[in-house]
Amino acid sequence: MTEEQRRVPLSIPLDIAQKNVDPLVSPDNKIEFRDYSFYYRKFKALGNISMQIPTNQITAIIGPSGCGKSTLLRSINRMNDLVPNVHTEGDIFLNGENIIGQGVDVVDVRRRVGMVFQRPNPFPKSIYDNVAYGPRLYGFNRHDGLDEIVYNALKQAALWDEVKDKLHQSAMALSGGQQQRLCISRALAVEPEVVLMDEPASALDPVATLKIEELMQTLKETYTIIIVTHNMQQAARVSDRTAFMMIDDPERRTGILVEYGSTAQIFTNPKNKQTEDYVTGRFG
Amino acid sequence: MARETFERQLQAMVDQVLVLGSMVEQAVLDSLDALKRRDLKAARRIFEGDYVINEKRYAIESGCVTLIATQQPMARDVRFLAAILEIITELERIADYAKGICKITQIISEEAIDPVLIDELQQMSNLALDMLRRALDAFVAGDADTAREIPKEDSKVDKLYNQIYRNLMEQMTKDISTVDRANHIMWAAHNLERMGDRVTNICERIVYVATGEMRELDTT
Repeated sequence: MTEEQRRVPLSIPLDIAQKNVDPLVSPDNKIEFRDYSFYYRKFKALGNISMQIPTNQITAIIGPSGCGKSTLLRSINRMNDLVPNVHTEGDIFLNGENIIGQGVDVVDVRRRVGMVFQRPNPFPKSIYDNVAYGPRLYGFNRHDGLDEIVYNALKQAALWDEVKDKLHQSAMALSGGQQQRLCISRALAVEPEVVLMDEPASALDPVATLKIEELMQTLKETYTIIIVTHNMQQAARVSDRTAFMMIDDPERRTGILVEYGSTAQIFTNPKNKQTEDYVTGRFG
Repeated sequence: MARETFERQLQAMVDQVLVLGSMVEQAVLDSLDALKRRDLKAARRIFEGDYVINEKRYAIESGCVTLIATQQPMARDVRFLAAILEIITELERIADYAKGICKITQIISEEAIDPVLIDELQQMSNLALDMLRRALDAFVAGDADTAREIPKEDSKVDKLYNQIYRNLMEQMTKDISTVDRANHIMWAAHNLERMGDRVTNICERIVYVATGEMRELDTT
């Protein structure tokens, strides 16, 4: 196949794209985007996203760089509010409750929707204090069972056995993979409902990556997980459902949802040609 | 914590292949039983029930394709999934032979069949099914040595087939009115003989999974 044949147009009409968004059969959805758009000033970064994310499953968001995956992810815990001059249209529902708008308690949203970032970012504190940081903000202390909260969070993140004898040593001394699992513990310590993961393993070696991927399979029994990843193979390995995003037009560069369905369907029988070209490595 | 999820998924595939194997074995047993008892209802039921086996095969195939697409299997894992795709095809074909025997039962209807012939057909079936069971055990155990030995049993199945063939030819030569029925019995025997060949193919895949070598196995 020549390079010319490999090239595919990067534009796709929105109405065609939305036909490939498979509505979920189960009514048990944790999150729903309803005609959600996001703007940096006049630039429309996300266009009319509508999708439902099921409870206790792993949903992967894939797509080429700059298609709005992280922007979409950060909309779920209102992290984008921290960027100046942004505004949104449409709605995002968490457990049926609209989390977009002025009256929403953003701090509470961020407790319910935890986040893990690309690079492990432990605080320069002890392992214990890292995990206890969130609960302490909510007023917990040792008399309220803080030790148990820390134990549970480290256990859930499959880190307890490795750190139980050095809880009061600096978190910065841990390996990269351990630091990332510590960050997951820190997110879990405030008992969120949803965990957002933005490229959680891209800075890790293969063994540490594998540990994070296996951990996600355990965590989904308790939490709803949404992962953004450039690593398509990782999305295929870990997720139950996959959303494929791309920009609608090379000039406008608005990120749209092209196709959304079960991971098995997206990676074996995508309905959309752009999705097929992306997952088969023909563009992106 | 080494790819535990994927390991579980692979084990689930093994379980499904064994379920398919037992469905196929039952179909062969039932088809011979229906032929022996000239039970036309049972023959019809087995014939019509073959689609369940086909659907099981498609479900396993689809599961394999999904694992190949999503789990990026390498080395032994990819050989294992490729082997399953081949093994389930062979199993489904064995079930088709059982279906073919049921069709013959319906055609022959209540005409008499020489009990010696029936006994020889039963022996062929027993041998072929024994090979199949052992092959599936070897598949589960990843036992290449056993898989190399099993095809040697096929010569016993072939020997019985040749014996039936000669007897039927003799019968047809003596009495031309038996040609139709003898021809059908010969087809039933041929189906049983082919089962042994299919099991040999399964054994080749078991060796392939274990060693990476893809070659025909010696059946003598």
